[in-house]
Amino acid sequence: MLRESGILPFLLVAPALLFLAAILGWPLVSALLLSLQNITIIGSEGRWVGLSNYQAILGNPGFWKAAGLSAVWVVANAVVQTALALAAALVLNQRFPGVRVARTWIVLSWIVPTVVVVMIWRWLFSTSGGMVNPLLMSLGIIDRPIGFFGRPWTAMGTLIFINSWRWFPFLALMMLAGLTRIPDELFEAARIDGAGAFQRFRRITWPLLTPTLLVLAVVGTLLSFNVFDIIWLLTAGGPSGGTRTLPVMIYETAFKGYRLSEAATISVMATLLLMTFAVLATRWLAREADER
Amino acid sequence: MKSLLRGLLAGAALLAPLAHADAVELTLWHMEQPPHRVQRIQELIDAFNETHPDITVKQEPQNWGEIYAKAPAAVAAGAGPDLLFAIPDFTPIMKGIGALESVEDFVNELDAKHDFIDSAVQSYSYDGGVWAVPLYNMAMSMWYRKSVFEEAGVKVPETWSEWKEAAEKLSSDNVYGVGLPANKQLYTDQTVYSFMVNGGASEIFAEDGTLRFNNPETVAAYEAYAELQKMSPPDSPSWTWGEAEACFASRSCGTILQFTVISTYDTQAEGDPDDLGVAPIPYKEGQTQHNTISYANAVMILSKDDAKREAAKTFISWLLEPENYGKFLNMEPGLFLPITADGAEAESFWNDPLAQKYKSQIETMIENSKNGMLFGFTSGRTFPSIAPISAQNIIAETLQRIVVDGQDPAQAVAAGEDRMREVAK
Amino acid sequence: MNRTPAWNIVLGVVVGFFTLLIGLPFWWVVTGSIKAPQEIIARTPTFFPHSFTLQHFDKLLSSSDYPVYLANSLIIASASTVITLLLAVPAAYAFFRMRFFGRETLYRAILLAYAFPSIVVLIPLFGMFVRLGLVDTLLGLVVVNAAFALPFSIWMLRSFFASVPKEIEEAAIMDGAGVFVILRRIMIPLIAPGLASVAIFAFVMAWTEYVFASVLIISDVKRPIPVGFAGIIGQYQIDWGLLLSGSVLAILPVVVLFGLVGRWFVRGLTEGAVK
Repeated sequence: MLRESGILPFLLVAPALLFLAAILGWPLVSALLLSLQNITIIGSEGRWVGLSNYQAILGNPGFWKAAGLSAVWVVANAVVQTALALAAALVLNQRFPGVRVARTWIVLSWIVPTVVVVMIWRWLFSTSGGMVNPLLMSLGIIDRPIGFFGRPWTAMGTLIFINSWRWFPFLALMMLAGLTRIPDELFEAARIDGAGAFQRFRRITWPLLTPTLLVLAVVGTLLSFNVFDIIWLLTAGGPSGGTRTLPVMIYETAFKGYRLSEAATISVMATLLLMTFAVLATRWLAREADER
Repeated sequence: MKSLLRGLLAGAALLAPLAHADAVELTLWHMEQPPHRVQRIQELIDAFNETHPDITVKQEPQNWGEIYAKAPAAVAAGAGPDLLFAIPDFTPIMKGIGALESVEDFVNELDAKHDFIDSAVQSYSYDGGVWAVPLYNMAMSMWYRKSVFEEAGVKVPETWSEWKEAAEKLSSDNVYGVGLPANKQLYTDQTVYSFMVNGGASEIFAEDGTLRFNNPETVAAYEAYAELQKMSPPDSPSWTWGEAEACFASRSCGTILQFTVISTYDTQAEGDPDDLGVAPIPYKEGQTQHNTISYANAVMILSKDDAKREAAKTFISWLLEPENYGKFLNMEPGLFLPITADGAEAESFWNDPLAQKYKSQIETMIENSKNGMLFGFTSGRTFPSIAPISAQNIIAETLQRIVVDGQDPAQAVAAGEDRMREVAK
Repeated sequence: MNRTPAWNIVLGVVVGFFTLLIGLPFWWVVTGSIKAPQEIIARTPTFFPHSFTLQHFDKLLSSSDYPVYLANSLIIASASTVITLLLAVPAAYAFFRMRFFGRETLYRAILLAYAFPSIVVLIPLFGMFVRLGLVDTLLGLVVVNAAFALPFSIWMLRSFFASVPKEIEEAAIMDGAGVFVILRRIMIPLIAPGLASVAIFAFVMAWTEYVFASVLIISDVKRPIPVGFAGIIGQYQIDWGLLLSGSVLAILPVVVLFGLVGRWFVRGLTEGAVK
């Protein structure tokens, strides 16, 4: 550790921090101010109404439903993506012909613009020319075509699948990074001791990978909460509000309902929820790291 | 290609005599983004710019999905366009932020010259002014294949029950007799309203501006729609216009409601003009007239600068002249219908190869459009509260309660009216 | 490494699963883009194309500004990456190696940048950018994308710095080297693969961003690919062939790029720094 070097650390950190404060911080403050007024269409006049927007939102069942859907969204994505990513990372950590190619190209779904991902899956899941239904039918899994976006829960499930499809390769590579840091000697020693594959995983891989997993979980949760374009472009929060997570509700309230202050209020509430989670999580992570 | 053209134009502009250095510049925002439409508009703009050296028009195609957010934000920030295309429910928004001035005199002038469809002007007339200039029309009709009907022994349905019978006869293992959307989206608003106007439920507002969405006729319309929707493909709750057309083009749907299927039928299906059938939308038993939903698209003049407003009016007038108007409408042949009487006869309109190929269909579409209406803009009863109701697709939302949540239609419609009241505040 | 035949089979199945999961959709998109329109929407889709046509690509390239969109995306993504790195490297180093007042708090505050819905930033940012003259400029998007990539980049870089053995640094300090010399001569070369990873991350994030680009860009000639692509979808009709060919062209540049530098992304993550 270098000695405390006067203002030098601040000089190094300041550009990044000032940049973030200007681009992200100021608009946040602006949104906070908006939430204390009653502006409807952007550009119209508004009065200061104190905390009445917050009162209204807390009593709005739509808000709580959206918060619930956001929670479902975040948790389900975390589970599905972690499962897929972990499986992929374990596989990519093995040696087999073509593993180099696999490692590079698994992120194909991640480097594609979201809009393109959306259109591709919209086409694939449709009944006119879509591939998924005929595939499932020919495999005997279903006998009639399904409308994947037709019911609230199937729409949610389909969206979770698409979002996970897009993000799991990135997570897989992050996990792979963690895996490769585990020294081979540990595995060798365990094998000599007669430990089987599952035991090696449980005793060595899992404990040493956990720190990486935890950090990815925290950052991943924050990022996945914010996913907006995939949901909006495919279901716009439907059907019947079944996929209307908080970001979707905010966008809809601001730009379709033309109630800007109300949208800002929801945003602030969502931010508070997320920040509480993030602060608690990072504090817990730091404690876990110190204990090692 | 386009940029090359622009580059040449820029070069030409530089060489133009300095006496015309003070050309008025107009920025036009429109939402006709598909490349061939942008190209056609550019051709028209180039022709205009050439014959009007003191005005330069520039187009910036925008996306319908983004414009509701972008336009008010841009205007509020002083970065808005001079001309902005609109549909009737978008105009109250722009009026609400003070971006519009009444163009009543101008519209009257054009009306006298070209004879607008009355309902088109009506859609933009309220609060003691006319807030946009009607430009092109779109109206829904029912589409089918004559050969398919013949084979199944079905005649063109006139009433809802006839339609149901026909759909049942047309349905088979992988063919759906009728393809109706159930998405919380504009297309569903449009198709549901097509039922409402054909069932005596065209008014959602009373004379005094209160909502009267919840009434027996509306409930009956929703019931009939839900009945027919059951025979639609399972992914119809996520349909927009494109999916319905694809269903029709691939022969998976027997009948659909659409503004036009001509260009997809021509390029993605058989393209046989003799087989493509179009009919007015069926009405409820006891009704006497086939109505439909029609969208009078218009252009708003946003600029407050006098010189620019004058230039804008010059451009709009030029566009509506029969020899230019047809070319404008045919940026998407069969989709955009004339909104003026002389436009409907214009050679420039009928000269387009696609228009010629599907002449009889387009003629029927124009006929149907004469009985067109739009929810919230009927018979002079227009209230600004329609904008959030339309933007939030409450008519479609109400349908989803019935089709997706299984709610009773009467309950759903009542809930729908509550929602409308809520967002209209 | 000795694997039992049973494990080999399991491995093979899992590898096959992932290959299909990622590869199949792209296969269908690429083959779809060269199918005749009727075949694209046919009720029973075909695995191998029965027709072949380049009309969709032709239509796309001749009537839209795709090459322009591509250039814009390249500029925006490259510039964002450079700015992100310039800001993140010193900050990450300071957070890791130096002790100063408020270090932990500030570090956590950076990650909190992701803890709010980005939608809420959109409108105030738009207003701010108008006043700064950044609306409808590529620079505006560069700034936004760099801001979004920065927190995660700092976090990643910090962990790369952490894997450099202390001794190397301490030797340099004892030789009397100042911070910037240490960074330039020693740290950066040592974590070069890691830098590449962060750069690629920032690049891809900027490349795929849609929401902000769609609102902040007004003129057609400044559009990046995601916005340009959304535009050809059209309102009342969907030209599926055009859509598919547009998808292919939107994917192609990143695929080519990744083909050239992709292995650095993986190497950077897995090797990070000196082990």
